[in-house]
Amino acid sequence: MPRIRGKSKTAEILTLDQAVKKHMKNGMQIAFSGFTGFNRNPFAFSWEIVRQGFKDLHVIDRHGSCCTWLLNAVNAIKIYETDWMGWGEMAGKLDVNLSRNYQQGKMILEDYAHGAMAMRFLAGAIGAPFIPYSAPLGSDLYNPEYDALGKAGLRDGKKIPKKKFIQMEEPFWGDGDTVLLPAARPDLAIIHVAQAGDKGTCRWRGVGTIDKEISFACDRVVVIAEEVVPEAEMRKLPEANQIPYFTVDTIVECPWGAFPSSVPFYYDYDAPFMRLMDAASRNETDLKKWLDEWVFSPKNWEDFLVKLGAKKLLDLRADSVTGYSTRMMRGKKPAPRMKMALSVARSGY
Amino acid sequence: MAKSMEQLMEVIDLIPDEPAKVSEFILPELMAIAVAHEVRNDDIVFAGTGLPMVGIMTANFTNAPKATLIYESGICDGKTMHVPMSVCDQRAANQSSTLGGLVDTFGYYLQQGFVSLGFLGGAAIDKYGGVNVTSIGDYYKPSHRFTGSGGNADIGTMAKRTAFIILQEKRRFLERNDYTTTPGWWCWDFKTKEWKPKKEVWKGTAFADCGPTAVVTNMGVYRFDKNGIIYLETHHPGITIEQVKDGCGFDLNVSMVKGETAHPTYRELFVLREFVDPELIFLPAKTEYPAAIQAIINKA
Repeated sequence: MPRIRGKSKTAEILTLDQAVKKHMKNGMQIAFSGFTGFNRNPFAFSWEIVRQGFKDLHVIDRHGSCCTWLLNAVNAIKIYETDWMGWGEMAGKLDVNLSRNYQQGKMILEDYAHGAMAMRFLAGAIGAPFIPYSAPLGSDLYNPEYDALGKAGLRDGKKIPKKKFIQMEEPFWGDGDTVLLPAARPDLAIIHVAQAGDKGTCRWRGVGTIDKEISFACDRVVVIAEEVVPEAEMRKLPEANQIPYFTVDTIVECPWGAFPSSVPFYYDYDAPFMRLMDAASRNETDLKKWLDEWVFSPKNWEDFLVKLGAKKLLDLRADSVTGYSTRMMRGKKPAPRMKMALSVARSGY
Repeated sequence: MAKSMEQLMEVIDLIPDEPAKVSEFILPELMAIAVAHEVRNDDIVFAGTGLPMVGIMTANFTNAPKATLIYESGICDGKTMHVPMSVCDQRAANQSSTLGGLVDTFGYYLQQGFVSLGFLGGAAIDKYGGVNVTSIGDYYKPSHRFTGSGGNADIGTMAKRTAFIILQEKRRFLERNDYTTTPGWWCWDFKTKEWKPKKEVWKGTAFADCGPTAVVTNMGVYRFDKNGIIYLETHHPGITIEQVKDGCGFDLNVSMVKGETAHPTYRELFVLREFVDPELIFLPAKTEYPAAIQAIINKA
């Protein structure tokens, strides 16, 4: 149910390792910001979770990402409630680590669909217990026999809702059957943003995915920011801000903290690096080597960036007009210089 | 010296819009352009990652320049210059009308009924257009576990029309799926435990008449008859009807075949190669143009 707080939160500014130590617990429910492996994944936070060794996590999300890829690489996710269990789209669709853990019975998967997870977080955000949605009738997603958490006896009605869904006749308008979906109410939101004011007001550019909804649906919110700026700066253009300060518990300033995903207008995603992650996950020896090299050896996140090197960071740096980089080699040929989309050049809007 | 994009833009209309010969294009190009042909100029299109995205970008650059492209991460009408690798790629958000999030795209646009065409992939499909992107075998102990729905189940049932792009093999073209992620024209009614037409299961909702209308595979293009059963409309060049039937796990209706899938035109191929995927992210390699076409390009 809605959590009556009584007073505004006061966000504190912590380092990455302090924030992980303070907020993470084994077995807790967490949700990450961004979109798949490509946009505003709080990867540095996930990286630090793995370094500090937290386990048995219950991730509620609308899809996998670089964060879940890494957690699955060390089998740190016990329950995964989501709708898309891949992570890298064109740079590594299936999460091989997840596949391996699931086949070995080490984790529970609960399937929903994208719109359904968005609506569950929306319900959580607005303090509603559930939400009706035209979730596809006749889909096995809403087959009463396919309720993994129910089958495992975990639907206690406390942190996990008593039912996966309820199909019912729409009672007000005669709109046929509808599906009621339970609100998502995780313990901790980890949101990567472009800028955070030092009081906690947050801003990103590019797509919003469901990050505002996640921030309101979770008990606690950790914001990882490319830059922390004076709160006064955020107040010059308030309509460009998405998250108000009073939801935020902790702010971490961590430049390049969403690598290898992108932060629009800051840096692009690193598709070649993601392809290497995907390749490493296909073999347990390679995976161990990758983890040792990229997760356990660096002294801290700054050291990780030093290891990536200046050339890589320069190539990924977004240009200020498009918000992405045209210097990155994403395919087999370099990106051409474009001034305008062809459709606009020839036919307008 | 390499031509600038502006120079290349100027020769588009000089390149003949006539069908290329079989040896002059490759299968992914044929498929991307077959996808593009499904898009109408007044469509609001909601597309998934991969070939669907390449196809609708091609459509936007050729036959449907005014089609509105929606991407699930929150992008409304992006005017893309560089092909995106993800539906949340900032490249897809370039010059968009508005940017929001999933509640916008799945709620305000899709559930509110604005989306006229969904374009999606799938791992397997049944003869009623039901798609499986979740698992093969027992759901709890699958022999193959795929990514799961993503937006597939929502878009594939709430867009007015949906086109699927699927790799066709006998084990992927089935009488009935092991798991139905996105129901087609027939599906289970879990209340009565009966297999029924979608129109009955979804009776009273706004979406009873929404569903799959086309399937593009590596072998042909398919439509659905009035009973909601798939039939072959065209087979791709170099593929016989017998081969198509062999690539099906059920007895495919081939009585309404119109002939070969239209070959891409030289102009469509030029746009796809030079403007949609010049970085060779989706296309495996640059295919050479015939001498007469190359001569036109050289004059740019």
